[in-house]
Amino acid sequence: MTMRTLTPPDTELIVTGRPASRRTRQLRKAGEAYVFLSPTLILLFVLMIVPIVMVIGYSFQDNVILNKSPDLVGVDNYVAILTDPGFWKATGNTLFFTLTSVAAHLVLGLSFALLLNSRLIGAVPRAIFRGLYVLPWLFTVAVIAVLWRMLLAPNGIVNFLLNTNIEWLASPQLALGTVTFINIWAGYPFFMVSLLAGLQGIPSDLYEAATVDGASPVQRFWNVTVPQLRPIIVSLVLLDLIWTSQQFALIWLTTGGGPIDVTEMLSTFTYKLAFAKYDFSMASTSAVLVLAMSMIVAVLYVRHQKARD
Amino acid sequence: MDNSGRRRRNAIKLVGVAAAATTLLAMAGCSSNSSGTSSDGNVTIEFAQWWEPELGDGQFRGLMDQFEKENPGIKVDLVSGPYASTKEQLFAGAASGTMPDVVGLDGAWVSDFAKQGVIADLSKLMSDSGYDESQLASQIKVDGSTYMIPVVNFVYPMFTNDGLLARAGVSAPPSTRTEFADAAKKITALGGDVSGWVLPLSLEAPNGVQNDVMSWVWASGGSMLKDGQPDLTNSDVSSATDFIQQMWDDKVIAPGSFTMKEQDKVEEFTNGRVGMMIDSLAHINLIRQSNPDLTFSISAIPAKDGFTGERGIPYASWGIGVAENSEHKDAAFKLVQFLMGKDVNSELSTMAKAFPGNTESVPTFVEDDALFKTAFDIYKKGYPANEFTGLPVAEELMRQFGTEFQSALDGQESMGDALKKTQDEWTSEF
Amino acid sequence: MALTTPARPRATRTATRRRFAQAGVLVGLLIGAVFAAGPVLWMLSSSFKSNTQIFELPPRLITDTFSFDAYISIFTNPETVRFFINSYVVAGAVTILTLLVAIQAAYAFSRFEFRGKRIVNVIIVSVQAVPPITLLIPYFGLMVGLGLYNTYPGLIFTYMVFTLPYAIIMMTGYFNTLPKELDEAVRVDGAGSFTALWRVLVPISIPGIVSVGIYTFMIAWNEFLFALTLTRTIDMRTVPIGIQLLMGQHSYEWNQIMAMSILGSIPVLVLFLFFQRFFISGLTAGSVKS
Repeated sequence: MTMRTLTPPDTELIVTGRPASRRTRQLRKAGEAYVFLSPTLILLFVLMIVPIVMVIGYSFQDNVILNKSPDLVGVDNYVAILTDPGFWKATGNTLFFTLTSVAAHLVLGLSFALLLNSRLIGAVPRAIFRGLYVLPWLFTVAVIAVLWRMLLAPNGIVNFLLNTNIEWLASPQLALGTVTFINIWAGYPFFMVSLLAGLQGIPSDLYEAATVDGASPVQRFWNVTVPQLRPIIVSLVLLDLIWTSQQFALIWLTTGGGPIDVTEMLSTFTYKLAFAKYDFSMASTSAVLVLAMSMIVAVLYVRHQKARD
Repeated sequence: MDNSGRRRRNAIKLVGVAAAATTLLAMAGCSSNSSGTSSDGNVTIEFAQWWEPELGDGQFRGLMDQFEKENPGIKVDLVSGPYASTKEQLFAGAASGTMPDVVGLDGAWVSDFAKQGVIADLSKLMSDSGYDESQLASQIKVDGSTYMIPVVNFVYPMFTNDGLLARAGVSAPPSTRTEFADAAKKITALGGDVSGWVLPLSLEAPNGVQNDVMSWVWASGGSMLKDGQPDLTNSDVSSATDFIQQMWDDKVIAPGSFTMKEQDKVEEFTNGRVGMMIDSLAHINLIRQSNPDLTFSISAIPAKDGFTGERGIPYASWGIGVAENSEHKDAAFKLVQFLMGKDVNSELSTMAKAFPGNTESVPTFVEDDALFKTAFDIYKKGYPANEFTGLPVAEELMRQFGTEFQSALDGQESMGDALKKTQDEWTSEF
Repeated sequence: MALTTPARPRATRTATRRRFAQAGVLVGLLIGAVFAAGPVLWMLSSSFKSNTQIFELPPRLITDTFSFDAYISIFTNPETVRFFINSYVVAGAVTILTLLVAIQAAYAFSRFEFRGKRIVNVIIVSVQAVPPITLLIPYFGLMVGLGLYNTYPGLIFTYMVFTLPYAIIMMTGYFNTLPKELDEAVRVDGAGSFTALWRVLVPISIPGIVSVGIYTFMIAWNEFLFALTLTRTIDMRTVPIGIQLLMGQHSYEWNQIMAMSILGSIPVLVLFLFFQRFFISGLTAGSVKS
């Protein structure tokens, strides 16, 4: 067998059945895959791995950046952070904020995508509605924060329309829910647009077959739509979990982690360590802990990655 | 046919195309003109600040052009950024060696930057160039050396909405705490969405603690420090915090305090929903332009009943410092001297609607404008008071105080406990 | 003469049911539209008011001092116009480059099994899990060291690092919905992986690619922290920085903030509406035959 007469791998294996060719095939496959991956890997390695390694290194030192020759303190920083009740309060808030946001994003995004995909409405109204629904996506976080602070101010328009005087953002009881709501508003278009794209890829003959078999719209949804969208939904949920847990500017600019500490998130907690206390070692420690928590999610995602065969 | 080879070649081709495109972009991309000495001997210094966008169009650049004319051979590049990000940016710049030569500073940052060796010792620069220090109204020192010079000072007197006061049956702005609490109650009783007082306690930018809470302590000549160490449980501070707690319980403070920022406070006052506020003079013209129908006056912050001593008036400054890493410290200090010069300082104060950092400067608005004149008189009669400048992690101290203060106001703990907890937190930072 | 009215034919009953369904969908869409677009409408109305009127009570949608002043001051200021140009150049370049790179990487993840696949996948996903604020200083130092400070490529590469994990994950997801037989079929005919990817998979994945492209554009367009840190001179700054410059220490230019945001969003909205056609069902569905 020469390199020149290459036949598709399966045929080759069937014909020759030699283990050596399988290894060569795997090497070629790996080589090919890495060629496709090379631009990504180069960019990420050069630009991200170095800073990330530095941050991890900082977490084991004391008094970095300020001090030109910091001491190595092993896991002291980790102990300090993990025994800080503020860290756990931030973690709890972040979990609530993230899980609620992602769930709502999925539900809203999918519902809107289905509505916007419906053949019952003409093409032109659908296009208009799509434009309206995508609006929250188009603004930078600082503007969304300023806008919602304005809308939800005690003397703002929301209270005016509801005829109440509720301190949406300033009340220790309501602030976390309010901030979560704002994040839901700002983030659902991500799911909606991605799922809309995904809905386009579902072959219509699957739906036809299901209808012929007597499936109701609800059954069609659960048995055709959802399974077809599964890989996309998994990707969306993963990304949104990681992004929402990193959300900083929205919280900072609306409530600053307050009132008291009810909207303190891991992101604001880390920020304060870095730029209010100038303690970059502790901030790096907090960052590594956040990274570790996210990696659990990442590993779970990678395990479930499968292409349809 | 060598398929695998072709595959690989195609892939490489694509990577090559992408790389070529990127390289083209890279070559086409503009690069900055960083500070340095050009071939004709011109020195370019960079000045990072947030002042330029806050002043009228072209005003600050005009001052820089004047400096360049008076100092041929020195060029000034203005680097303007949003105020809220200035501290982080300065810090990141210092950490990566790209800090500009001259920096705008806030008093709350000085101690930390000085201790980290980020800003230069100005006392040395002043003595080296034989500068006359007596013309400086104040200098911010850390360990005996000056690190920041306040260029202009924004003072925070009390503003009162005369219309609301009159409607509430209060004839004159209150001058004692009892009168103030009383006026607040009467104004709130007017109903609608009107409140007597407004208190911004946002934890993001916690200067409300300095301007709206501690100001009560300083207005009665009190102090939150003792021998440079925190002393929050003394009678000055407790009486002030109890006073505010009382007003909170009487519900005379506008809603939304816990996340309210200074800008929101001003909007509430301008829209006639608040009777009295402690605020920066910088807003006088803003209020006038936004709501010409609003009649308001300036007065001193009320003191404890029976207090006759000098009243402290809180202030925040636009301060200036020089970077330790700067290669052009002399040129940088020349710019400092320029901005602190008697006439330029007057001009800058007039532009910014603030009080000058030069003892002999007098901004023009003091003569033309009755309200500003009143403010100036109050300023002269009392003393500028801001015990937070020069403290370590000053902004964080404010935030710690603010968090416990909110907790006490919300009824989750007693004010005494809040003060004690903050005292412990502060002591660990010192 | 018939004394009984004939039963309504089945066609009419289905038509009525269909009309109810239509109404239901329409009502749902309208309620959702209020939720989605209501705040933006308020933003629009604020951009035409004077600063103080934005906070008046009772609030009005249109006030007597309706004016375009905020917009005019943005258009006539060459600095702000430059912000828009910078944002466009950077976001556009980032989108194109990211798509090119991500499609390839996603292809590798979707269609190949190879040593180290899981680890590489976890790394790519986790890279975005580090809080950016802690990365800021080391990253900034790296950029300065590479000579990319205050340059377009500096921003472009930085944003690519942020958008690539997203784009790769999403494109992998989209590719995973396409059965492997598609590209296997082409390979049997002797075509290479490269052809399989670009001639077969990509054309079918256009909706996914477009949605990833649009969001990549928006990530790059709306990013603030690194744009601020990695640029120095006013002629390199981007729109989000321009907006925050209006948030001064002493006062905010509320109406200009709103106006600039609206102006910033219009081009992206137009892009989205233009590329919407790739979302129209029927264009690609049905062409995927098992």
